[in-house]
Amino acid sequence: MPKLIKNGEIVDNTYYWLQGAEQAATANSIVPAQKWLADKDSIGDIAGIWLEAGDGVEFLQDVDLKQFQVIGINFPAFTDGRGFSYARLLKERLNYQGEIRALGNFIPDQLGFLIRVGFNSFQFNEEVDLEKALALHKPFSIAYQGDVSEPRPLFLRR
Amino acid sequence: MYQYDAIDQQLVEERVAQFRDQTRRYLNNELSEQEFLPLRLQNGLYVQRYAPMLRIAIPYGMLSSAQLRKLADISCRYDKSYGHFSTRQNLQLNWPKIEDVPDILAELAEVQMHAVQTSGNCIRNTTTDQYAGVISDETVDPRPYCELIRQWSTFHPEFAFLPRKFKIAVNATESSDRAATQVHDIGLHIKKNEAGEIGFKVIVGGGLGRTPMVGVTISEFTPRADLLTYLDAIIRVYNQQGRRDNKYKARIKILVKALGIEEFRKRVDAEWAHLKGKESTVPMSEFDRLAGFFSAPAYDNLTNYPEALTSKLASSAGFARWFERNTFEHKQAGYRIVTLTLKKAGQAPGDATAEQMQKAADLADKFSFGELRVSHEQNLVLADVRQEQLVDLWEAAKQAGFATPTLGLLTDMICCPGGDFCALANAKSIPIAAQIQETFNDLDYLYDLGNIDLNISGCMNACGHHHVGNLGILGVDKKGEEFYQISIGGASGHDASIGKILGPSFAQEEISSVIQKLMNVYVANRSEEERFIDTYRRVGITPFKEAAYAKAN
Repeated sequence: MPKLIKNGEIVDNTYYWLQGAEQAATANSIVPAQKWLADKDSIGDIAGIWLEAGDGVEFLQDVDLKQFQVIGINFPAFTDGRGFSYARLLKERLNYQGEIRALGNFIPDQLGFLIRVGFNSFQFNEEVDLEKALALHKPFSIAYQGDVSEPRPLFLRR
Repeated sequence: MYQYDAIDQQLVEERVAQFRDQTRRYLNNELSEQEFLPLRLQNGLYVQRYAPMLRIAIPYGMLSSAQLRKLADISCRYDKSYGHFSTRQNLQLNWPKIEDVPDILAELAEVQMHAVQTSGNCIRNTTTDQYAGVISDETVDPRPYCELIRQWSTFHPEFAFLPRKFKIAVNATESSDRAATQVHDIGLHIKKNEAGEIGFKVIVGGGLGRTPMVGVTISEFTPRADLLTYLDAIIRVYNQQGRRDNKYKARIKILVKALGIEEFRKRVDAEWAHLKGKESTVPMSEFDRLAGFFSAPAYDNLTNYPEALTSKLASSAGFARWFERNTFEHKQAGYRIVTLTLKKAGQAPGDATAEQMQKAADLADKFSFGELRVSHEQNLVLADVRQEQLVDLWEAAKQAGFATPTLGLLTDMICCPGGDFCALANAKSIPIAAQIQETFNDLDYLYDLGNIDLNISGCMNACGHHHVGNLGILGVDKKGEEFYQISIGGASGHDASIGKILGPSFAQEEISSVIQKLMNVYVANRSEEERFIDTYRRVGITPFKEAAYAKAN
């Protein structure tokens, strides 16, 4: 079974990242958010949805996010930082408590920042060595700004 | 100036360790070129035409003598014994080896310096007025606010991969804007409201490059406690909605222009509504803590214009000239602000040799409480010089090549490194600066012309800020040959404006004679005491254009 990093450990990936809108969804699929929007009354059981860069999170405002075990966010290129804001908004604005999974072309050197904005699982591209990636998860032991796990900036704790 | 505590120190050291590991993996082919590129840029490392270039941050231009000595020392041991001070108050080394960069960063960390976010699509070094804290017409000292922004922007987890680079500049005086804030992604003007509370006028969407624009006001007054939440809101909107399909349309100015300021403001306010009053609201205790680092040095109780100064002013025309041009009024009686110019003929504008850096550090220790500033115009500043010591300082500065008395004049040019160093450049810029310096070497004539900003960029990226020079020179490539386009009427202060292109570009050897023709038009048309820019604004571009392109009889 393919592996991924989740909550700081290398574990089996039990979900399937469904990338094409034409593929049939199953109970362990992470389906494109747009597909879910279009078919949500007929789609049946799924693990969750994933956001494409450009989707934003506003359309999820009135959705009961508890129905999703996972929300994925795709990085079309690792330099496309929209997903950083999406994760933070899911967590802080929409109060989503489930798994937030990074998908696509992000790289291990981004782990530290990805964790700080709310991602807790990381489905890397196949060629990435997960052991080596995991070692990069916390480049800094302290931060100036608040983040999802510590909303108080350093100036409130100094 | 700001002093690191154990936490600040730990962060820069951890960054050095992280970058050391990234460099090691890159050199071992564990990180691809494509992956390493943004990672190294976030730490100021470019790969240039002949060698890498490392851009070292000088936060809002403040530098201690010990730090400057370290920079001089590093330039000797790892580079070719000189550095280049940039328009954004940073220092660039043009010849370091990639494998040495982690060691350079480790040495910088020893003196509380770094290269964090000096490049890349992230929030860059915050800049401000080089006279901050020592001029009388300042609302408040902007430096504590710059430091607040520095800390907030350093390793901001959400904004490390923005659509494009993001530059913030702060100004705190009504009378002038020496930080060119209106051509930054965000310009902040510190002001007080009617109740006497401190806050910011926020200007957004200024910038140079291919599509130069003067910024527009998004908020007339944002209370200082709300500064960081408001900045978070602006940049969060930009991060999600700024264009990413075309790097030349990715700056925030393009988004602001496309939406219009009303709609952009609406979106920012909608975002801010969620953040305002939350944890990132800055408490009074933090403003006090930061302000404590910028308290006035131990000034003596002195009077203005002591005899030692007035007698020399009367007896030495050279000294009087330098005093008039290169020194500036201080808020404290008996003191003066002195600019050490890096515009000596024969030296590229903004360049300083290691020896000059050592010398400037010595002068700072001897005359100015051991501190210096770097200016947007690529000069060094000693902010707190006793007037009775100005003559001694002048003598020493002359010896070191820092006393060219042309601050603000035609030959006090802003100039990027250009095609001699930079891989992006279309044309060389340093030889143009040299040509102008050689041609316009008559001080009386330069003084008669008065204040003129001449800015030179080697390409459209506009590192030399050519759009906002009263005269701008832009290097262009015409079928493999270097040509230069001249623009006129730009300004970077409170009256910021983008210059207009005069017409077809000129060959390198024509530049000085064209500038001469433009000066002739100015001299013929000016009214008493009228600056070049004001004459231009009154008479318009036509007479300048006609003179520049007139056929010889």
